[in-house]
Amino acid sequence: MTSDAGKFLRHYGFAVVLVLLFVGFSLAADHFARPSNIIAMLHTMAPVIVMSCGMALVVLAGKLDISIGSVAFLSCTFGVLLMDAGLPPVIAFAATILAGAFLGALNGFIVVVLGINPLIATLGTMIALRGVALQLTNAILIPLPESVRTLGNLTIGPIYADILVATAILAAMHVLHRRTVFGRQVNAIGNGEEIAARIGIPVSRVVFLSFVLSGTLAAIGGLMSMVQVGAISSYLGKGMEFTAVAVVVVGGISLFGGRGNIGAGVFLGALTFTMIENGLNQLSANPYLYRLVTGAIIFVAMYADALKSGQLGRRRRPIPLTEIPDAAPEPSRQAR
Amino acid sequence: MSVAAHETVLEMRAIDKAFSRVPALSGASFSARGGEVHALMGANGAGKSTMMNILGGVHQPDGGVIEIDGRPIAQASPRDARANGIGFVHQELNMLPSMTVAENVLIDEMPTRNGLVDKTRMRETTAALLVRLGCTFSPDDTVETLGMGDRQMVEIARALAGDPRILIFDEPTSSLSAREKRRLFAVIGKLREEGTAVIYITHFLDEIFAVCDRVTVMRDGRTVGSRAVGEVTSGEIVTMMLGDIHEADRLRVAAPAVGETVLEVRGLTRAGVLDRVDLRIAAGEIVGLWGLLGSGRTELLRSLVGLDPLDGGTIALRGAGVTPEALHRDVGFVTEDRRGEGLLLQQSVTRNISFANLDKVRGPLGTIDTRKERAFASGFVERLKIKLASLGQPVRTLSGGNQQKVVFARWLGTQPRLFFLDEPTRGLDVAAKTEILRLTVELAEAGAAVLIVSSELEELMRVCDRYLVIRRGRIVGERAATASREELLADIADTRPEAAA
Repeated sequence: MTSDAGKFLRHYGFAVVLVLLFVGFSLAADHFARPSNIIAMLHTMAPVIVMSCGMALVVLAGKLDISIGSVAFLSCTFGVLLMDAGLPPVIAFAATILAGAFLGALNGFIVVVLGINPLIATLGTMIALRGVALQLTNAILIPLPESVRTLGNLTIGPIYADILVATAILAAMHVLHRRTVFGRQVNAIGNGEEIAARIGIPVSRVVFLSFVLSGTLAAIGGLMSMVQVGAISSYLGKGMEFTAVAVVVVGGISLFGGRGNIGAGVFLGALTFTMIENGLNQLSANPYLYRLVTGAIIFVAMYADALKSGQLGRRRRPIPLTEIPDAAPEPSRQAR
Repeated sequence: MSVAAHETVLEMRAIDKAFSRVPALSGASFSARGGEVHALMGANGAGKSTMMNILGGVHQPDGGVIEIDGRPIAQASPRDARANGIGFVHQELNMLPSMTVAENVLIDEMPTRNGLVDKTRMRETTAALLVRLGCTFSPDDTVETLGMGDRQMVEIARALAGDPRILIFDEPTSSLSAREKRRLFAVIGKLREEGTAVIYITHFLDEIFAVCDRVTVMRDGRTVGSRAVGEVTSGEIVTMMLGDIHEADRLRVAAPAVGETVLEVRGLTRAGVLDRVDLRIAAGEIVGLWGLLGSGRTELLRSLVGLDPLDGGTIALRGAGVTPEALHRDVGFVTEDRRGEGLLLQQSVTRNISFANLDKVRGPLGTIDTRKERAFASGFVERLKIKLASLGQPVRTLSGGNQQKVVFARWLGTQPRLFFLDEPTRGLDVAAKTEILRLTVELAEAGAAVLIVSSELEELMRVCDRYLVIRRGRIVGERAATASREELLADIADTRPEAAA
């Protein structure tokens, strides 16, 4: 392969694969490329995009938040209970989002103040918060009030409202990362926490805030997903943390931190998984195949990330024993 | 030209600082003038980094006064120091590789407009700084695409963005090529013309004569003296750095090498660090690698065992070519960093000693026989006279000297025929130092070849059979055990780049 082709593939290889996937599915399944199906895919993607935006931010700071599914579930539970108690949905929604911010702050506190590894900290809250929510709901399905349920299929023109919400959030997060001081600081911390601290960046505050944002977006994503279903079930947000990590990684945002583009990355990452799931569905493929394909894609994306971040191949090859550079050494430099 | 040129800008007086009750500075002083490049020198542990970290706001002094323009200042963080007009170019570059040059330069005070980062202004500010530094790369370049010299310039640009009156360079040339070094010196010259007070920390005497106007030398946490560069010789600086050297009794009679050659190295090269190093050590010989900090002495040992990469050269162990990784398995490597070289501080003395020798303490089923393990460890404890309450005591609770002996014990168990000792007695008291040196002699008498590095010449003079003088990554000469202190000091004070002793 020439270096030009290599370069092209490294930069656009992912887009090429996406286009090929789209063309392939379009040819194989009649309905795939229809506008209605594309809008349906975007509809499915909306909550994923919102939650992945929060994950992306945390990952850019070189951290991980695997509690987002549980944060979504518990905040939504809180909101639903408030609606059950007769509060207007608008207030319940606002309370849900605030609860998400609060739970994000809890994660931030554990990571920043208690100094616990983010993976372990959020693994703990992932398990604990889901437990609390299950207790509160008794693990039963609670339907939403009729007025709220209709929101799930609310369309503006041909487009679902939640697609617009997700687009707005995606754009806002992209600008936050790319164009604000906070965003630059997140990126700097992802480049190296110690370096960032030495430069004088308020590392603790920035990391804390990124967890708060992640929690907030998890709650919003949870709301969108719940409204689509029309009820809160014990499955809400389950596995969402891993989907979000997968979206972020496939979207080219490095798990090593400090490298990636939220706007394009999260959108293309989410599109990849939605397209494959939708396409395989249309082909009536074995539903278990989706998991295999997903796993393979994540693996390839991780490998590409490691290559790009230079984590592989950094070890130098052992030097050959027979080669002395610059021909022979100068004769007897040592005074005997 | 600034009006403030050649006026005293900075005064640091009677600075004290201790880390966990070990004093690093006691009553140290330093002053700097505008339009002057002021070198700060000192041997390993002299306190110059602590002094500059205090000035840069990284550490806070326990006592003393810092004055800028005659007014005392207090600072709690690097940010405060910046506000006081103090810039710091750190030795390890604090780069954000995936971000652009402009972002790296202005990361701690990005210009904003309506809450958004003002990219245009950021680019313009950075471009102006880069022009001032004579750099040709763009503010939009990603830092990871730049070479070391350019990254150094980015670091300097970041320091200059705060418009400092005092600018500290901490060993700025340690990773630069000759050409990059010249460019750096030109930039420093320009800063001097602009009236900046430049403080230049270095280990290289030749750099002092190339760029500096004054030199201050520190030793053992105190300021030894301050001289104009024109009025001092490199020999005087070395004497100031190392202090009076008392000739101590040799621990053994120097013997010419008679044993077989254990290690032979030819043309060992690592770009910018080691330059075609040749050496040969025979069994039963103690060879001192004599050079200043930064001369490549530690780097040579590290490269030989594969801890640092190599660009070329051959290594032969008892006549057979080996890779650095293979050599590592046959070398007892003891450094000043007892923790870094793998002492498990929380674990018992027994476990630490048996750790590298588990094959010798296995029972019939291949599991570890704790009785054998204890016997194995207690043998070494007796032989090395390690002072402890019990074998089960955590290594952490031992004194530094005894911890170092545990390191030796571990290596002795593997019976290496070759030892690399890098400042093995650093941080130990006088009695413990002597014991470690005695142990070194014992190793040689038992037939091992020893290559030893130390900043303390008197220590080397007690044990070495000969010396290899290393400077700028080259072995520039060899001295016999009979060499005098003056000769050895002259060897490292020589600033001629390619002179052979």
